[in-house]
Amino acid sequence: MSSNKTIPARPETAYARAMARIARELDLSDDAVTRAIILFVLLGFLGLLAGGLTAGLVMMSNQRRIEWVNHTYEMERHIDGLGLQVERLEGARRGFLLDADPTYRLIFSDAEAALVHQVAQLRTLTADNPQQAGNVARLDEQATRLRVLLGSSIIARVLGQTQTAMDDFRTDGSVQLARQTRAVGVAMMAEENRLLSERLVTQRRTVSVFYGVLIASGVLLLLVAAASIVLILRYVRALAASRDSLRTINDSLEQAVSVRTRALQRANDEIQRFAYIVSHDLRSPLVNVLGFTAELEESGRAIVGLIERAEAEAPHLIDAEVRRAVYEDTPEAIGFIRTSTQKMDRLINAILKLSREGRRTITRERLDMDHLVQGIADTMRHRLDELGAELTVETPLPQIVNDRVAIEQILSNLIENAVKYLKPGRPGRICVRGHVERDRAVFEVEDNGRGIDPKDHERVFDLFRRAGAQDQPGEGIGLAHVRALAYRLGGAVSCQSALNEGATFRLSVPLIYVPERSA
Amino acid sequence: MTGHQPVNIIMIEDDEGHARLIERNIRRAGISNLVRHFPDGSSALQFLFDHPEGPAKNGPALVLLDLNLPDMSGTDILARIKADPALRRTPVVVLTTTDEKIEIQRCYDLGCNVYITKPVNYENFADAIRQLGLFLAVIQVPETEGLG
Repeated sequence: MSSNKTIPARPETAYARAMARIARELDLSDDAVTRAIILFVLLGFLGLLAGGLTAGLVMMSNQRRIEWVNHTYEMERHIDGLGLQVERLEGARRGFLLDADPTYRLIFSDAEAALVHQVAQLRTLTADNPQQAGNVARLDEQATRLRVLLGSSIIARVLGQTQTAMDDFRTDGSVQLARQTRAVGVAMMAEENRLLSERLVTQRRTVSVFYGVLIASGVLLLLVAAASIVLILRYVRALAASRDSLRTINDSLEQAVSVRTRALQRANDEIQRFAYIVSHDLRSPLVNVLGFTAELEESGRAIVGLIERAEAEAPHLIDAEVRRAVYEDTPEAIGFIRTSTQKMDRLINAILKLSREGRRTITRERLDMDHLVQGIADTMRHRLDELGAELTVETPLPQIVNDRVAIEQILSNLIENAVKYLKPGRPGRICVRGHVERDRAVFEVEDNGRGIDPKDHERVFDLFRRAGAQDQPGEGIGLAHVRALAYRLGGAVSCQSALNEGATFRLSVPLIYVPERSA
Repeated sequence: MTGHQPVNIIMIEDDEGHARLIERNIRRAGISNLVRHFPDGSSALQFLFDHPEGPAKNGPALVLLDLNLPDMSGTDILARIKADPALRRTPVVVLTTTDEKIEIQRCYDLGCNVYITKPVNYENFADAIRQLGLFLAVIQVPETEGLG
């Protein structure tokens, strides 16, 4: 007895409580964690979305800025071009008035066309801005006037009215007009620059807003990631802790089980010893009862002889009462004593057999179950043929390491029972099969016999108890023996049946029997 | 009985009924030797070793021994007899209810001469005792090396 080990009070309840606590904790954190993770994923998604959108907007805004800058350059180019063409017109006219070289006329008409073109370009560019469009209109009007003025003086020179042309040159105000035209261009340019800088300022503001949003969503993402990591770490730690406490609980449970097993084994051993001593001591008086009954019978015969003689020689001595006592009552009484003591002897022998079986040393060996069961089936072949019953063995059966004699006794008992309690009038079908359940082998003996009422399922395993019609010989020892043997081998035997529906007896034993005896 | 003195039968048996049945059946087998009955181990040992008419001091004997005695185990008595130089040649017949294999082996190891299980079935029991009687009729029991 190991005194340092204590049996926890009702370990099943403690175990169940602890399990429930762990389940509750895990469940709780499970829910919370799931919710938090969904929230984080949503937040992260939102952050990404915001970042992406802002980045897109920033790009679009940049694009627009480039467009605006281009537009301004374009305007500048055309306004400059316009100024240049005005200069060329003036220069060409001046040259032609002085020289009447037709080259100047060519330059003039070329500049004229270019001027018209520049004005048209400017009109297109400023179509969206009424103010600038007004400026362009003014420019156009002035340029047209200038072209007409300059053109008329050239025509005058061509016609040979040199003086008129020269006068025109001095008085027609074309120089001012050209200056005004250029001034309008400069004003437009100034306006355009103002617009550009205005636009750039607005744009810079929106861009900085966008950058703010980008930074914010980046921070949000970082926070979400950090929170997720913290949460997951904590959850993993909680999981590990509950796993550890589960292991501890398991260990203590195993310990409790092994302590209990040892206690049970001690109790079992005690019962075995008790049964052995009792059955032995019961035998002694039984020898006397039977012995003296026989002696009594012997003496009775002497008395019978005397009575017979008396009847022959002095019949008046014998009355009916004496006759009945001698010829009927005494032999009957002796007969009852005899059959009862004989029955008692059989019962005592059964107990003795059980207790002896319980004390037998178990020899482990690898068992070829196919072979073993086939052997049992062969010994029963004759009886099966007599009954017209059929026994099938579903090979392969699981191979086990256990005590050959005990396993053989268990299975042959179960198979014998199946044969013994077949239902008359129904062709007997008995089937032996087996399978592996984790570290245990399960063997089943199924029959289609008369079955056992479910209320008797436990009773049939009790010593001297039987179920159903008592029409077969037997003392009610077989299944008690089977159960005792099965327990001894670290196994269990159970029954599944309904009346008239056949029965299945199930033997479950460890695949490898490990003796668990504490000395 | 071929000795100078008749062989005494010493029956060590705590059950009066068994003792009666054994004696009756020995007599039925035609054995008329003196049967001394001791219901417990101590008185039997005292007679065996110290009594003037006991085998240690006087004359040949044969011991019928039951193993289940109230005050000691029959195997102790057997061991004592077989360890004693004066008594060790005295035949001992163990006649008991125990049919435990280990017990039987132990008795033979200790020097028991015959081991008989008392069958519950009376006919068999009576037969066994009668045959033991026949056996006693032909058996040669050595003289004990007693002082007297």
